Amino acid sequence: MLIFDELKKNDPQLRLVATVVVAGLGILLAGLWWVQVVSAHEYQSHLETQAYRTVRIPAIRGKILDREGRVLAENRPRFNLSLYLDDLRKPFDAAYNQLYRQAREGRQRALAAQEIKLNRSLTKPERKAFALTTAELQQLRAQARWSVANNLVTQVGQQLGQPLALDTTKFERAYQTRLALPFTILPNLDPGQIARFEERFTNGLGANLDLQAARVYPSGATAAHLLGYLRNDDSSQEGEDADFNYRLPDYRGVVGVEGRCDTELRGHAGAESVLVNNLGYRQSENILDPPEPGRNVVLTIDLDLQRAAEASLIRHRGADVRGAVVVMDVNSGDVLALVSSPTFDPNDFAQGISQDKWQRIQDLTAEKNRATYENYAPGSIFKTVVALAALENGLNPAEIYHVEANPENPAKGMIYVGRRRIKDTAPPGDYNFKKAFIHSSNSYFINAGLEHAGVENVLRIGKEFHLGERTGLFARQETSGDFPDEERIQANWSDGDTANVCIGQGEVAVTPIQMAVMVSAIANGGKVLWPRLIDRIEPQDPATGEAATNFPSGRVRNELDVHARSLKILRDAMLADVNSSEGTGTAAAVNGLHICGKTGTAQVQDASNKLTGYNFWFASYAPYENPKYAVVVMVESTGSGSGGTVCAPIAHDIYETILKKQNAATTKTLARN
Amino acid sequence: MTPCFAKEREGRPDPIQLAALAVLMFIGTMFVCSATMANATTALLPWYDQIWMRQIIWYALGLGAAAGICLTDYHTLARWSFVAYWATILCLIAVLIPHIGSTHGWGARRWIDLGPFQFQPSEFAKLAFILAGANFLSRPPDELQQRAIFWKGIGLMLLPFGLILKEPDLGSALVLLPTGLVMMFVAGTPLKYLLRLAAVAGILGTLLLADVLFAPPGWRIKMQDYQRQRLLVYFGANFAAGNATAKEKSEARRLQFEKSYQVRQALISVGSGGLLGKGWRKGDQTALGFLPPGAAHNDFIFSVIAEEEGFAGSVLVLALYAVVLFTGLRIAGQARDRLGKLVAVGVVTLLFSHVFINIGMNIRIVPVTGIPLPLLSYGGSSVLCSLIALGLMQNVHIHRRGY
Repeated sequence: MLIFDELKKNDPQLRLVATVVVAGLGILLAGLWWVQVVSAHEYQSHLETQAYRTVRIPAIRGKILDREGRVLAENRPRFNLSLYLDDLRKPFDAAYNQLYRQAREGRQRALAAQEIKLNRSLTKPERKAFALTTAELQQLRAQARWSVANNLVTQVGQQLGQPLALDTTKFERAYQTRLALPFTILPNLDPGQIARFEERFTNGLGANLDLQAARVYPSGATAAHLLGYLRNDDSSQEGEDADFNYRLPDYRGVVGVEGRCDTELRGHAGAESVLVNNLGYRQSENILDPPEPGRNVVLTIDLDLQRAAEASLIRHRGADVRGAVVVMDVNSGDVLALVSSPTFDPNDFAQGISQDKWQRIQDLTAEKNRATYENYAPGSIFKTVVALAALENGLNPAEIYHVEANPENPAKGMIYVGRRRIKDTAPPGDYNFKKAFIHSSNSYFINAGLEHAGVENVLRIGKEFHLGERTGLFARQETSGDFPDEERIQANWSDGDTANVCIGQGEVAVTPIQMAVMVSAIANGGKVLWPRLIDRIEPQDPATGEAATNFPSGRVRNELDVHARSLKILRDAMLADVNSSEGTGTAAAVNGLHICGKTGTAQVQDASNKLTGYNFWFASYAPYENPKYAVVVMVESTGSGSGGTVCAPIAHDIYETILKKQNAATTKTLARN
Repeated sequence: MTPCFAKEREGRPDPIQLAALAVLMFIGTMFVCSATMANATTALLPWYDQIWMRQIIWYALGLGAAAGICLTDYHTLARWSFVAYWATILCLIAVLIPHIGSTHGWGARRWIDLGPFQFQPSEFAKLAFILAGANFLSRPPDELQQRAIFWKGIGLMLLPFGLILKEPDLGSALVLLPTGLVMMFVAGTPLKYLLRLAAVAGILGTLLLADVLFAPPGWRIKMQDYQRQRLLVYFGANFAAGNATAKEKSEARRLQFEKSYQVRQALISVGSGGLLGKGWRKGDQTALGFLPPGAAHNDFIFSVIAEEEGFAGSVLVLALYAVVLFTGLRIAGQARDRLGKLVAVGVVTLLFSHVFINIGMNIRIVPVTGIPLPLLSYGGSSVLCSLIALGLMQNVHIHRRGY
């Protein structure tokens, strides 16, 4: 080593100098080792926090499809016109320099004027008053960038044929806090504007289109209740990185399928890191973690039937009608259509709903899913349950029961329960089971319930249909209905209460979806099914090879403990209700399809037992020979009518659509063969 | 010793030192380029207008000057040393006069404008001081025992020190002290004088520091604001006084954050370089402008090297300086006479002080003082003076066996 040449020599001073130099270099070496090797991570993270901004990038939301793959909800590109502030740095600086020069010259002129006035040169502290302060310079900068941005915005607005203005405070806030992100000046351009913009602004002017995925429901209000709606929400979900500097707009499902399958539909948001310089301008960007697209949800819904059911409800009762329709496959429990009216357009929510529209929804209680989320007295359609209970307990369907005439109204029948007289809508006379069923004789069924079945058996059959329990179709949007249990009838229960239950009034309340399950069980030979709305959840891109999650169909919840004979008698009576000329449900009949049904009209009373309106029902299935479709129609009304006149025609339209669809399918199959 | 009659009049320069210098100049060019090309406006200049190209020109001029100096025996040069010394003293006085000295907008008057370029007389003062000091101290050791001679030597050092301090340029002034003191020590000035001096200086320094850190405003000695702030930043002391209002405190905090900006950014640059660095021209700190663009190629060039080449690069730079310094010490040891030895020791100490202070401030071992890193930092005066100083040292080496 060359130092030792010196140290060997007898020169203590030089040796000391050499030692000091060695020590000094050693200190530097140790310091560098400490900073660059030991603490490197710490400084790297310092660098990252000051130079990187992370941005949450929402994943593409999954689509919602009907059973045939038709789109109910999807995403469409939305083009926003945005300012890219990093491209405007040079114009900002240039404008600032110009303003600065002007301001400085102004001050110098003022200073010169002051000197002339005082006839002496100013002292240093006096001159200082004419200098521009830091705050003034900052203000000049803000002014410069605002004028540059505003000119650009005005210019673009002129070219687009839409006057645009730049909000000063919003712009300044975006500049201060979101410099690394595009600043939107005009959201949601229409195709004409996009074309005009693309034609005229091709170079990097600082204004550009910025692409966003927007949720759209191509059929508008169709199936709105079951699809649900979204809310703008860019917060991190569980399992996602929670620490972002910026977040791009995202949605969260609130109710319906959008709400229930939100996790699957949403996918996983990704993260992008934007490298910024010391002024906060964007330098480059880098995807850290690509977003994982959400999965598609395929429903059991048949869009044709859904549309037909909605259209028919509106055609017969108007757009604001309060009602519900459920169409179900009696063998699989698949919900083919689920309508609740009045309805809303979920597109309004995705775009941010206006106050007017929100008020309208509130006024009409339109957001309520009436097919699942409201209790209704079933009225006469509950006679199916009473019929099964009585037939199972020795009611001879051929046996004649005589209905007395009502002394106040001799054209109608009546029955005494204890000392209370219950009026009937059917005429007096002799009734066997079928005749009583198709005329919907209250007297006959009250008698059958009281004399043959007994309240315990009526309740047993009702329990077997799982009345008073949720069907599990929608997590937080379903009511269980009301159904008395064993305990209830032990205490303070009278024959009058039984009589009320036998005609679907009093302490029994159901939902249309429960009635669809009930009719399906009668139709399919006694299987009480779990209704099914979601068929499968599958990847958006089939090429990924990811497996779909399938939800099994035809899950049996309960097998009715009744004889096949009883069901047959009931089904024949339901067929007669639609097809015999005396039936109440004849308005539903369709040529070429044997429909079985039961009408119902329930009175709605307020707290003081005053009649406030009616629930009209028609619960049905078809075809008689080979049951396939259950159709339940319910309409709330304050006016008079009956299930047969109000609901049966709506069901008629739906069955016609079913028949047309079946015929078309058959023709297609034949043509293919 | 070879017999005198070998009479080798012409020696050769020290090849090891020359090689180390060549590598340093190469590194200097590369990283001045890296530090300046990050700036979009500078990067667009034609290659012959680039700052790194100018740095190469300064290297060439410096090498020319150094070679020129080597042609004349250092004894001859030493005879003119007092002329040079007083000439630079005049320049240092001139630079303080407002219409001659230029501030370049930095607040300190350090430059003299000479048409197309400016020069910094303080840099040349260091050279002249080394030569004059060596000449003065090379008298017989007995004379150095005299008090008068000792004080004259101190005066020789304090005159340029005071003038440079007045500019103000604390860093350049400070490096004169170790240079002068080490030269006096090596020359053979009695140790007791130096120790006493050191004791007095130490007490004064401690008092000064205590004043800066703890004294209430009324008791503070007069000092440039930025100097006080740099010291406060270095010692991590709070800018705000203990009894300050909340508003004053927040203002003080903001100021402190702002003032510690350079140090913090330099540390982040050096630290984030890690073991192997990010690669040439890939340093984020420079590219993103966090490292102040005006200082990156200048006083903070080491941060750029350390960020882009990591600990490995830092060690290489340190090793190259070590080679230069130790070959310098060897030249001092082999010098023909005390004059040569003192010149070499002076140059070694000057270089070492620059290296230690500059690298030290990049890693917060010493407070920030605007002092260039020899041969690596961009700057005409600095490059020229470093190369001339090294030329002087080589001169001592070449002429080590005269007569």
